Amino acid sequence: MNRKTGFFGKLLIVLVLLYLYVPIVVLMLLSFNESRYNSLPFKFTTHWYQELAADTELINSAKNSLLLAFLTGIVCMILATFFILGQRYLAKRTQGLFNSIVMMPMSIPWLIIGLSILLMIRFMGFSKSMFFVAMGHIVISLPYSLLVLRARVSSLDKSLEEMSASLGASPWTTFRRVTFPAIAPAMLAGGFLSFLISFDNFPISYFLMPNGIFTLPIEIQSSIKFGFTPEINAISTIIIGISLVCLTVVGLIMRSNLKAMLGGKD
Amino acid sequence: MKVNKKSAMTWPAMLMLLCFTLIPLLIMFETSFRSDETGTLTLENYKKFFTNFMYIKLTGSTLLMSLLVTVISLLIAYPLAYIMAKKLKGLKNVILVLTIIPFFTNQLVRVYSWLIFLQDGGILNRLFMSFGLAENGLGILYTRAAVVIGLTHAFFPYMVVTIYMALERMDDSLIEASMSLGASKWTTFKDVIFPISMPGVMSGVTIVFVPCLGSFVEPRILGGVNGTVIGTVIEDQFFQLYGWNFGAAIAFVLFALVLIFMGAFGALGRRWETE
Repeated sequence: MNRKTGFFGKLLIVLVLLYLYVPIVVLMLLSFNESRYNSLPFKFTTHWYQELAADTELINSAKNSLLLAFLTGIVCMILATFFILGQRYLAKRTQGLFNSIVMMPMSIPWLIIGLSILLMIRFMGFSKSMFFVAMGHIVISLPYSLLVLRARVSSLDKSLEEMSASLGASPWTTFRRVTFPAIAPAMLAGGFLSFLISFDNFPISYFLMPNGIFTLPIEIQSSIKFGFTPEINAISTIIIGISLVCLTVVGLIMRSNLKAMLGGKD
Repeated sequence: MKVNKKSAMTWPAMLMLLCFTLIPLLIMFETSFRSDETGTLTLENYKKFFTNFMYIKLTGSTLLMSLLVTVISLLIAYPLAYIMAKKLKGLKNVILVLTIIPFFTNQLVRVYSWLIFLQDGGILNRLFMSFGLAENGLGILYTRAAVVIGLTHAFFPYMVVTIYMALERMDDSLIEASMSLGASKWTTFKDVIFPISMPGVMSGVTIVFVPCLGSFVEPRILGGVNGTVIGTVIEDQFFQLYGWNFGAAIAFVLFALVLIFMGAFGALGRRWETE
Protein backbone atom coordinates (compact mmCIF):
# COMPACT_ATOMS: atom_id res chain seq x y z
CA MET A 1 0.00 0.00 0.00
CA ASN A 2 1.11 3.48 -0.79
CA ARG A 3 2.05 5.09 2.49
CA LYS A 4 3.06 8.51 1.18
CA THR A 5 1.15 11.61 2.13
CA GLY A 6 0.44 13.51 -1.05
CA PHE A 7 0.39 17.26 -1.55
CA PHE A 8 -3.31 17.53 -0.75
CA GLY A 9 -2.85 15.49 2.40
CA LYS A 10 -0.17 17.83 3.68
CA LEU A 11 -2.24 20.84 2.67
CA LEU A 12 -5.22 19.47 4.60
CA ILE A 13 -3.16 18.94 7.74
CA VAL A 14 -1.76 22.48 7.55
CA LEU A 15 -5.19 24.01 6.94
CA VAL A 16 -6.79 22.11 9.80
CA LEU A 17 -4.06 23.14 12.21
CA LEU A 18 -4.36 26.76 11.05
CA TYR A 19 -8.13 26.63 11.57
CA LEU A 20 -7.68 25.18 15.04
CA TYR A 21 -4.93 27.47 16.27
CA VAL A 22 -4.85 30.82 14.46
CA PRO A 23 -7.70 32.52 16.36
CA ILE A 24 -6.35 31.31 19.70
CA VAL A 25 -2.79 32.40 18.92
CA VAL A 26 -4.01 35.79 17.68
CA LEU A 27 -5.89 36.24 20.94
CA MET A 28 -2.80 35.35 22.96
CA LEU A 29 -0.65 37.78 20.97
CA LEU A 30 -3.19 40.56 21.38
CA SER A 31 -2.96 40.18 25.14
CA PHE A 32 0.59 41.55 24.77
CA ASN A 33 -0.46 44.36 22.42
CA GLU A 34 -0.62 47.93 23.59
CA SER A 35 -3.78 49.01 21.77
CA ARG A 36 -6.98 49.09 23.79
CA TYR A 37 -9.02 48.28 20.67
CA ASN A 38 -7.05 45.23 19.52
CA SER A 39 -5.69 47.26 16.61
CA LEU A 40 -2.30 47.03 14.94
CA PRO A 41 0.62 47.74 14.63
CA PHE A 42 1.73 45.39 17.35
CA LYS A 43 3.50 47.07 20.26
CA PHE A 44 4.63 44.79 23.07
CA THR A 45 3.40 45.48 26.58
CA THR A 46 2.60 43.56 29.76
CA HIS A 47 0.32 46.38 30.82
CA TRP A 48 -2.87 44.27 30.63
CA TYR A 49 -1.42 41.64 32.93
CA GLN A 50 -0.58 44.33 35.46
CA GLU A 51 -4.16 45.63 35.25
CA LEU A 52 -5.31 42.08 35.84
CA ALA A 53 -3.24 41.77 38.99
CA ALA A 54 -5.00 44.81 40.42
CA ASP A 55 -8.52 43.74 39.46
CA THR A 56 -9.97 42.27 42.67
CA GLU A 57 -13.21 41.23 40.97
CA LEU A 58 -11.40 39.12 38.40
CA ILE A 59 -9.14 37.67 41.07
CA ASN A 60 -12.17 36.65 43.11
CA SER A 61 -13.69 34.99 40.06
CA ALA A 62 -10.42 33.17 39.47
CA LYS A 63 -10.46 31.98 43.08
CA ASN A 64 -14.03 30.69 42.66
CA SER A 65 -13.09 28.88 39.47
CA LEU A 66 -10.03 27.27 41.01
CA LEU A 67 -11.83 26.30 44.21
CA LEU A 68 -14.68 24.66 42.29
CA ALA A 69 -12.29 22.88 39.95
CA PHE A 70 -10.13 21.64 42.81
CA LEU A 71 -13.13 20.28 44.70
CA THR A 72 -14.52 18.70 41.53
CA GLY A 73 -11.17 17.10 40.72
CA ILE A 74 -10.80 15.53 44.17
CA VAL A 75 -14.39 14.31 44.48
CA CYS A 76 -14.43 12.92 40.92
CA MET A 77 -11.17 11.12 41.53
CA ILE A 78 -12.61 9.38 44.60
CA LEU A 79 -16.04 8.62 43.13
CA ALA A 80 -14.55 7.35 39.88
CA THR A 81 -12.07 5.07 41.65
CA PHE A 82 -14.78 3.49 43.80
CA PHE A 83 -17.08 3.13 40.83
CA ILE A 84 -14.59 1.61 38.44
CA LEU A 85 -13.33 -0.89 40.99
CA GLY A 86 -16.83 -1.77 42.18
CA GLN A 87 -18.51 -2.16 38.80
CA ARG A 88 -16.34 -5.17 38.00
CA TYR A 89 -18.31 -7.16 40.57
CA LEU A 90 -21.72 -6.36 39.12
CA ALA A 91 -23.76 -8.77 37.02
CA LYS A 92 -23.26 -8.12 33.30
CA ARG A 93 -26.63 -6.48 32.74
CA THR A 94 -26.51 -4.22 35.81
CA GLN A 95 -22.95 -3.33 34.88
CA GLY A 96 -24.07 -2.07 31.47
CA LEU A 97 -26.93 -0.10 32.98
CA PHE A 98 -24.81 1.51 35.72
CA ASN A 99 -22.08 2.42 33.27
CA SER A 100 -24.46 4.07 30.85
CA ILE A 101 -26.06 6.05 33.72
CA VAL A 102 -22.78 7.50 35.02
CA MET A 103 -21.67 8.37 31.47
CA MET A 104 -24.98 10.11 30.69
CA PRO A 105 -23.86 13.70 31.40
CA MET A 106 -21.30 13.33 28.63
CA SER A 107 -23.99 12.99 25.98
CA ILE A 108 -26.79 15.19 27.35
CA PRO A 109 -26.25 18.88 26.51
CA TRP A 110 -25.03 20.65 29.66
CA LEU A 111 -27.69 23.29 29.08
CA ILE A 112 -30.28 20.65 29.97
CA ILE A 113 -28.39 19.40 33.03
CA GLY A 114 -27.85 22.93 34.35
CA LEU A 115 -31.49 23.83 33.81
CA SER A 116 -32.89 20.70 35.38
CA ILE A 117 -30.80 21.19 38.53
CA LEU A 118 -32.01 24.81 38.63
CA LEU A 119 -35.60 23.57 38.41
CA MET A 120 -34.95 21.05 41.17
CA ILE A 121 -33.59 23.81 43.42
CA ARG A 122 -36.77 25.79 42.87
CA PHE A 123 -39.00 22.72 43.22
CA MET A 124 -37.51 21.89 46.61
CA GLY A 125 -37.65 25.48 47.79
CA PHE A 126 -33.89 25.94 48.16
CA SER A 127 -32.02 28.93 46.83
CA LYS A 128 -29.07 28.91 44.46
CA SER A 129 -25.79 28.18 46.19
CA MET A 130 -22.22 27.12 45.54
CA PHE A 131 -23.14 23.65 46.81
CA PHE A 132 -25.37 22.97 43.81
CA VAL A 133 -22.86 24.45 41.39
CA ALA A 134 -20.26 22.05 42.76
CA MET A 135 -22.63 19.08 42.50
CA GLY A 136 -23.41 20.02 38.90
CA HIS A 137 -19.72 20.27 38.08
CA ILE A 138 -19.08 16.89 39.68
CA VAL A 139 -21.71 14.99 37.68
CA ILE A 140 -20.59 16.44 34.36
CA SER A 141 -16.86 15.93 35.05
CA LEU A 142 -17.16 12.40 36.47
CA PRO A 143 -17.43 10.68 33.04
CA TYR A 144 -14.02 12.06 32.08
CA SER A 145 -12.37 10.67 35.23
CA LEU A 146 -14.09 7.37 34.53
CA LEU A 147 -12.83 7.32 30.95
CA VAL A 148 -9.25 7.72 32.12
CA LEU A 149 -9.53 5.16 34.93
CA ARG A 150 -11.34 2.59 32.82
CA ALA A 151 -8.48 2.65 30.32
CA ARG A 152 -6.11 1.61 33.11
CA VAL A 153 -8.31 -0.71 35.17
CA SER A 154 -9.43 -2.79 32.20
CA SER A 155 -5.82 -3.87 31.76
CA LEU A 156 -5.54 -4.65 35.48
CA ASP A 157 -5.70 -8.33 36.30
CA LYS A 158 -8.49 -9.02 38.79
CA SER A 159 -6.85 -12.30 39.77
CA LEU A 160 -3.97 -10.40 41.38
CA GLU A 161 -6.38 -8.92 43.92
CA GLU A 162 -8.05 -12.28 44.42
CA MET A 163 -4.68 -13.89 45.00
CA SER A 164 -3.77 -11.26 47.55
CA ALA A 165 -7.08 -11.85 49.36
CA SER A 166 -6.68 -15.62 49.33
CA LEU A 167 -3.24 -15.24 50.84
CA GLY A 168 -4.96 -13.61 53.78
CA ALA A 169 -4.55 -9.92 53.08
CA SER A 170 -7.39 -7.73 54.31
CA PRO A 171 -9.36 -5.80 51.63
CA TRP A 172 -7.64 -2.61 52.78
CA THR A 173 -4.17 -4.16 52.50
CA THR A 174 -5.03 -5.54 49.09
CA PHE A 175 -6.11 -2.12 47.93
CA ARG A 176 -3.09 -0.40 49.42
CA ARG A 177 -0.48 -2.87 48.22
CA VAL A 178 -1.89 -4.26 44.97
CA THR A 179 -4.66 -2.17 43.42
CA PHE A 180 -3.64 1.32 44.39
CA PRO A 181 -0.07 1.26 43.04
CA ALA A 182 -1.41 0.04 39.71
CA ILE A 183 -4.11 2.66 39.30
CA ALA A 184 -2.69 5.66 41.20
CA PRO A 185 -1.36 7.39 38.06
CA ALA A 186 -4.72 7.00 36.33
CA MET A 187 -6.52 8.33 39.41
CA LEU A 188 -4.34 11.41 39.32
CA ALA A 189 -4.77 11.88 35.56
CA GLY A 190 -8.54 11.46 35.90
CA GLY A 191 -8.59 14.00 38.69
CA PHE A 192 -6.69 16.51 36.57
CA LEU A 193 -9.04 15.99 33.62
CA SER A 194 -12.10 16.57 35.83
CA PHE A 195 -10.38 19.63 37.28
CA LEU A 196 -10.01 20.94 33.74
CA ILE A 197 -13.61 20.17 32.73
CA SER A 198 -14.88 22.03 35.78
CA PHE A 199 -12.44 24.92 35.37
CA ASP A 200 -13.61 25.41 31.77
CA ASN A 201 -17.29 24.90 32.39
CA PHE A 202 -19.67 27.69 31.52
CA PRO A 203 -23.26 26.37 31.17
CA ILE A 204 -23.60 24.75 34.61
CA SER A 205 -22.07 27.73 36.45
CA TYR A 206 -24.13 30.16 34.36
CA PHE A 207 -27.43 28.60 35.40
CA LEU A 208 -26.62 27.75 39.01
CA MET A 209 -24.27 30.44 40.37
CA PRO A 210 -25.87 32.67 43.01
CA ASN A 211 -26.30 36.25 41.77
CA GLY A 212 -23.16 38.33 42.00
CA ILE A 213 -20.75 35.40 42.30
CA PHE A 214 -18.72 34.81 39.15
CA THR A 215 -16.35 32.25 37.69
CA LEU A 216 -13.83 33.11 34.97
CA PRO A 217 -15.97 31.83 32.06
CA ILE A 218 -18.93 33.87 33.36
CA GLU A 219 -16.61 36.85 33.64
CA ILE A 220 -15.61 36.47 29.97
CA GLN A 221 -19.23 36.08 28.92
CA SER A 222 -20.35 39.21 30.72
CA SER A 223 -17.43 41.21 29.39
CA ILE A 224 -18.39 40.16 25.85
CA LYS A 225 -21.90 41.37 26.60
CA PHE A 226 -20.95 44.67 28.20
CA GLY A 227 -17.85 45.69 26.25
CA PHE A 228 -14.43 44.18 26.67
CA THR A 229 -10.90 45.31 27.33
CA PRO A 230 -7.59 43.56 26.55
CA GLU A 231 -7.65 42.43 30.18
CA ILE A 232 -9.94 39.67 28.93
CA ASN A 233 -7.28 38.70 26.37
CA ALA A 234 -4.82 38.43 29.22
CA ILE A 235 -7.07 36.31 31.44
CA SER A 236 -7.92 34.12 28.44
CA THR A 237 -4.22 33.57 27.80
CA ILE A 238 -3.75 32.52 31.41
CA ILE A 239 -6.73 30.14 31.19
CA ILE A 240 -5.27 28.54 28.05
CA GLY A 241 -1.98 28.16 29.92
CA ILE A 242 -3.71 26.36 32.81
CA SER A 243 -5.54 24.06 30.34
CA LEU A 244 -2.27 23.19 28.62
CA VAL A 245 -0.60 22.36 31.92
CA CYS A 246 -3.47 20.03 32.91
CA LEU A 247 -3.53 18.35 29.51
CA THR A 248 0.23 17.87 29.55
CA VAL A 249 0.04 16.20 32.96
CA VAL A 250 -2.78 13.90 31.82
CA GLY A 251 -0.96 13.15 28.58
CA LEU A 252 2.33 12.31 30.27
CA ILE A 253 0.75 10.07 32.90
CA MET A 254 -1.49 8.26 30.44
CA ARG A 255 1.00 8.09 27.58
CA SER A 256 0.76 4.36 27.09
CA ASN A 257 -3.01 4.28 27.63
CA LEU A 258 -3.79 7.37 25.56
CA LYS A 259 -5.54 5.48 22.79
CA ALA A 260 -7.67 3.38 25.11
CA MET A 261 -8.61 6.58 26.90
CA LEU A 262 -9.58 8.54 23.80
CA GLY A 263 -11.46 5.63 22.30
CA GLY A 264 -13.42 5.13 25.49
CA LYS A 265 -12.69 1.41 25.42
CA ASP A 266 -9.70 -0.87 25.21
CA MET B 1 -22.16 -13.16 48.95
CA LYS B 2 -18.75 -11.54 49.03
CA VAL B 3 -18.88 -10.57 45.36
CA ASN B 4 -22.00 -8.44 45.75
CA LYS B 5 -20.63 -6.56 48.72
CA LYS B 6 -17.75 -5.15 46.68
CA SER B 7 -20.13 -3.87 44.02
CA ALA B 8 -21.47 -1.46 46.67
CA MET B 9 -18.48 0.71 45.78
CA THR B 10 -20.48 1.89 42.79
CA TRP B 11 -23.18 3.40 44.98
CA PRO B 12 -21.66 6.81 45.82
CA ALA B 13 -21.31 7.66 42.11
CA MET B 14 -24.77 6.29 41.36
CA LEU B 15 -26.24 8.32 44.22
CA MET B 16 -24.69 11.50 42.79
CA LEU B 17 -26.14 10.77 39.37
CA LEU B 18 -29.52 9.98 40.91
CA CYS B 19 -29.66 13.22 42.91
CA PHE B 20 -28.12 15.59 40.40
CA THR B 21 -29.08 14.22 36.99
CA LEU B 22 -31.92 11.70 37.06
CA ILE B 23 -34.18 13.34 39.67
CA PRO B 24 -33.63 16.84 38.20
CA LEU B 25 -34.63 15.50 34.77
CA LEU B 26 -37.81 14.01 36.27
CA ILE B 27 -38.58 17.32 37.97
CA MET B 28 -37.99 19.13 34.69
CA PHE B 29 -40.45 16.76 33.03
CA GLU B 30 -43.05 17.43 35.70
CA THR B 31 -42.45 21.19 35.53
CA SER B 32 -42.98 21.20 31.78
CA PHE B 33 -46.61 20.23 32.41
CA ARG B 34 -47.31 23.12 34.76
CA SER B 35 -48.87 26.36 33.62
CA ASP B 36 -46.69 29.46 33.96
CA GLU B 37 -49.73 31.50 35.10
CA THR B 38 -51.61 29.21 37.45
CA GLY B 39 -49.15 26.44 38.25
CA THR B 40 -51.73 23.73 37.57
CA LEU B 41 -51.08 20.64 35.49
CA THR B 42 -51.72 21.31 31.82
CA LEU B 43 -50.62 20.54 28.29
CA GLU B 44 -50.58 24.21 27.32
CA ASN B 45 -46.76 24.54 27.22
CA TYR B 46 -46.41 21.79 24.66
CA LYS B 47 -49.46 23.04 22.78
CA LYS B 48 -47.88 26.50 22.63
CA PHE B 49 -44.68 25.03 21.23
CA PHE B 50 -46.16 22.73 18.62
CA THR B 51 -48.90 25.06 17.33
CA ASN B 52 -46.73 28.14 16.98
CA PHE B 53 -45.05 28.17 13.59
CA MET B 54 -42.18 30.23 14.99
CA TYR B 55 -41.07 27.41 17.29
CA ILE B 56 -41.43 24.77 14.59
CA LYS B 57 -39.30 26.88 12.26
CA LEU B 58 -36.80 27.38 15.05
CA THR B 59 -36.54 23.63 15.59
CA GLY B 60 -36.06 23.16 11.87
CA SER B 61 -33.31 25.75 11.62
CA THR B 62 -31.54 24.33 14.69
CA LEU B 63 -31.60 20.85 13.12
CA LEU B 64 -30.36 22.30 9.83
CA MET B 65 -27.51 24.15 11.53
CA SER B 66 -26.47 21.01 13.44
CA LEU B 67 -26.63 18.99 10.24
CA LEU B 68 -24.47 21.53 8.42
CA VAL B 69 -21.87 21.53 11.18
CA THR B 70 -21.88 17.71 11.19
CA VAL B 71 -21.42 17.44 7.42
CA ILE B 72 -18.59 20.00 7.39
CA SER B 73 -16.95 18.24 10.34
CA LEU B 74 -17.16 14.93 8.51
CA LEU B 75 -15.62 16.46 5.38
CA ILE B 76 -12.69 17.70 7.47
CA ALA B 77 -12.39 14.82 9.92
CA TYR B 78 -12.62 11.83 7.61
CA PRO B 79 -9.76 12.70 5.24
CA LEU B 80 -7.62 13.83 8.15
CA ALA B 81 -8.28 10.64 10.13
CA TYR B 82 -7.61 8.57 7.01
CA ILE B 83 -4.27 10.24 6.36
CA MET B 84 -3.30 9.81 10.00
CA ALA B 85 -4.27 6.14 10.16
CA LYS B 86 -3.05 4.96 6.78
CA LYS B 87 -0.39 7.38 5.52
CA LEU B 88 1.53 8.95 8.36
CA LYS B 89 3.93 7.12 10.60
CA GLY B 90 5.86 9.02 13.26
CA LEU B 91 3.98 12.29 13.07
CA LYS B 92 0.51 10.89 13.55
CA ASN B 93 0.51 10.92 17.33
CA VAL B 94 1.69 14.52 17.34
CA ILE B 95 -1.07 15.55 14.95
CA LEU B 96 -3.66 13.57 16.91
CA VAL B 97 -2.67 15.37 20.11
CA LEU B 98 -2.57 18.77 18.37
CA THR B 99 -6.05 18.14 17.01
CA ILE B 100 -7.52 17.18 20.35
CA ILE B 101 -6.00 19.93 22.53
CA PRO B 102 -8.43 22.69 21.50
CA PHE B 103 -11.33 20.35 22.36
CA PHE B 104 -10.25 20.57 25.99
CA THR B 105 -9.61 24.31 26.14
CA ASN B 106 -12.10 26.76 27.52
CA GLN B 107 -15.28 27.07 25.47
CA LEU B 108 -15.71 30.75 26.27
CA VAL B 109 -12.11 31.55 25.39
CA ARG B 110 -12.51 29.77 22.05
CA VAL B 111 -15.73 31.62 21.21
CA TYR B 112 -14.20 34.89 22.30
CA SER B 113 -11.14 34.28 20.11
CA TRP B 114 -13.41 33.82 17.08
CA LEU B 115 -15.25 36.99 18.00
CA ILE B 116 -11.98 38.94 17.96
CA PHE B 117 -10.77 37.16 14.83
CA LEU B 118 -13.90 37.58 12.71
CA GLN B 119 -15.03 41.04 13.70
CA ASP B 120 -15.01 43.88 11.21
CA GLY B 121 -11.62 45.55 11.52
CA GLY B 122 -10.21 42.36 13.04
CA ILE B 123 -7.23 40.36 11.87
CA LEU B 124 -9.04 38.36 9.17
CA ASN B 125 -10.58 41.54 7.86
CA ARG B 126 -7.16 43.20 7.55
CA LEU B 127 -5.73 40.15 5.85
CA PHE B 128 -8.51 40.13 3.26
CA MET B 129 -8.14 43.86 2.68
CA SER B 130 -4.40 43.65 2.16
CA PHE B 131 -5.00 41.03 -0.57
CA GLY B 132 -7.72 43.20 -2.06
CA LEU B 133 -10.37 40.59 -1.27
CA ALA B 134 -12.53 42.89 0.81
CA GLU B 135 -13.26 46.58 0.45
CA ASN B 136 -14.26 47.32 4.02
CA GLY B 137 -16.11 45.20 6.55
CA LEU B 138 -16.16 41.42 6.13
CA GLY B 139 -19.61 41.07 7.61
CA ILE B 140 -19.03 37.47 8.75
CA LEU B 141 -19.57 38.06 12.44
CA TYR B 142 -23.20 37.94 13.59
CA THR B 143 -24.27 35.62 10.78
CA ARG B 144 -25.17 31.94 10.67
CA ALA B 145 -21.83 31.34 8.95
CA ALA B 146 -19.96 32.59 12.01
CA VAL B 147 -21.98 30.24 14.23
CA VAL B 148 -21.20 27.27 11.97
CA ILE B 149 -17.48 28.18 11.94
CA GLY B 150 -17.44 28.39 15.74
CA LEU B 151 -19.41 25.18 16.33
CA THR B 152 -17.35 23.17 13.85
CA HIS B 153 -14.20 24.43 15.54
CA ALA B 154 -15.60 23.33 18.89
CA PHE B 155 -16.72 19.82 18.03
CA PHE B 156 -14.98 18.30 14.98
CA PRO B 157 -11.70 17.37 16.77
CA TYR B 158 -13.30 14.50 18.65
CA MET B 159 -14.78 13.17 15.42
CA VAL B 160 -11.24 12.89 14.06
CA VAL B 161 -10.42 10.67 17.05
CA THR B 162 -13.39 8.30 16.67
CA ILE B 163 -12.86 7.84 12.92
CA TYR B 164 -9.12 7.47 13.38
CA MET B 165 -9.66 4.72 15.97
CA ALA B 166 -11.97 2.83 13.61
CA LEU B 167 -9.55 3.11 10.69
CA GLU B 168 -6.53 2.19 12.75
CA ARG B 169 -8.12 -1.02 14.02
CA MET B 170 -8.79 -2.05 10.45
CA ASP B 171 -6.54 -4.66 8.89
CA ASP B 172 -4.56 -3.19 5.98
CA SER B 173 -4.40 -6.55 4.24
CA LEU B 174 -8.11 -6.15 3.47
CA ILE B 175 -7.27 -3.10 1.36
CA GLU B 176 -4.41 -4.89 -0.33
CA ALA B 177 -6.63 -7.89 -1.05
CA SER B 178 -9.29 -5.69 -2.59
CA MET B 179 -6.73 -3.86 -4.75
CA SER B 180 -5.00 -7.01 -5.88
CA LEU B 181 -8.36 -8.45 -6.92
CA GLY B 182 -8.59 -5.57 -9.36
CA ALA B 183 -10.91 -3.21 -7.49
CA SER B 184 -10.27 0.46 -8.19
CA LYS B 185 -9.25 2.84 -5.39
CA TRP B 186 -12.77 4.24 -5.30
CA THR B 187 -14.44 0.81 -5.17
CA THR B 188 -12.06 -0.28 -2.43
CA PHE B 189 -12.92 2.81 -0.45
CA LYS B 190 -16.67 2.54 -1.02
CA ASP B 191 -17.03 -1.21 -0.44
CA VAL B 192 -14.25 -2.03 2.01
CA ILE B 193 -12.83 0.93 3.92
CA PHE B 194 -15.90 3.08 4.44
CA PRO B 195 -18.23 0.33 5.75
CA ILE B 196 -15.59 -0.81 8.23
CA SER B 197 -15.07 2.73 9.51
CA MET B 198 -18.83 3.27 9.86
CA PRO B 199 -19.08 2.66 13.65
CA GLY B 200 -16.39 5.31 14.18
CA VAL B 201 -18.14 7.67 11.78
CA MET B 202 -21.46 7.26 13.57
CA SER B 203 -20.04 7.87 17.03
CA GLY B 204 -18.25 10.90 15.59
CA VAL B 205 -21.52 12.14 14.09
CA THR B 206 -23.21 11.74 17.49
CA ILE B 207 -20.42 13.60 19.24
CA VAL B 208 -20.81 16.58 16.88
CA PHE B 209 -24.55 16.64 16.16
CA VAL B 210 -25.90 16.24 19.70
CA PRO B 211 -23.97 19.07 21.39
CA CYS B 212 -24.82 21.33 18.43
CA LEU B 213 -28.52 20.78 19.10
CA GLY B 214 -28.05 22.00 22.66
CA SER B 215 -25.60 24.81 21.95
CA PHE B 216 -26.45 28.34 23.01
CA VAL B 217 -23.15 30.09 23.72
CA GLU B 218 -21.72 30.03 20.19
CA PRO B 219 -25.04 30.98 18.51
CA ARG B 220 -25.61 33.84 20.95
CA ILE B 221 -22.12 35.35 20.83
CA LEU B 222 -21.13 34.70 17.21
CA GLY B 223 -24.59 34.83 15.65
CA GLY B 224 -26.10 37.81 17.45
CA VAL B 225 -29.68 38.34 16.30
CA ASN B 226 -29.13 35.81 13.50
CA GLY B 227 -28.08 33.15 15.97
CA THR B 228 -31.45 32.27 17.48
CA VAL B 229 -31.67 28.52 18.06
CA ILE B 230 -33.55 26.28 20.51
CA GLY B 231 -30.77 26.73 23.07
CA THR B 232 -30.89 30.52 23.05
CA VAL B 233 -34.69 30.53 23.28
CA ILE B 234 -34.50 28.27 26.34
CA GLU B 235 -31.88 30.58 27.85
CA ASP B 236 -34.16 33.59 27.25
CA GLN B 237 -37.07 31.85 28.96
CA PHE B 238 -34.97 31.52 32.09
CA PHE B 239 -33.04 34.78 32.11
CA GLN B 240 -35.22 37.32 30.31
CA LEU B 241 -38.83 36.23 30.16
CA TYR B 242 -39.20 34.18 33.34
CA GLY B 243 -41.44 31.61 31.69
CA TRP B 244 -39.66 28.79 33.46
CA ASN B 245 -42.31 26.13 32.96
CA PHE B 246 -42.57 26.85 29.23
CA GLY B 247 -38.76 26.86 29.16
CA ALA B 248 -38.79 23.41 30.77
CA ALA B 249 -41.15 22.18 28.05
CA ILE B 250 -38.83 23.46 25.29
CA ALA B 251 -35.87 21.90 27.09
CA PHE B 252 -37.74 18.62 27.15
CA VAL B 253 -38.45 18.81 23.43
CA LEU B 254 -34.70 19.36 22.99
CA PHE B 255 -33.96 16.41 25.27
CA ALA B 256 -36.32 14.21 23.23
CA LEU B 257 -34.55 15.27 20.01
CA VAL B 258 -31.21 14.41 21.59
CA LEU B 259 -32.43 10.94 22.59
CA ILE B 260 -33.99 10.29 19.19
CA PHE B 261 -30.85 11.20 17.27
CA MET B 262 -28.54 9.39 19.65
CA GLY B 263 -30.65 6.26 19.29
CA ALA B 264 -30.81 6.57 15.52
CA PHE B 265 -27.07 7.16 15.07
CA GLY B 266 -26.27 4.35 17.48
CA ALA B 267 -28.53 1.91 15.64
CA LEU B 268 -27.04 2.93 12.31
CA GLY B 269 -23.52 2.40 13.61
CA ARG B 270 -24.39 -1.04 14.99
CA ARG B 271 -26.06 -2.10 11.74
CA TRP B 272 -22.84 -1.50 9.85
CA GLU B 273 -20.84 -3.23 12.53
CA THR B 274 -22.73 -6.51 12.20
CA GLU B 275 -22.70 -6.56 8.41
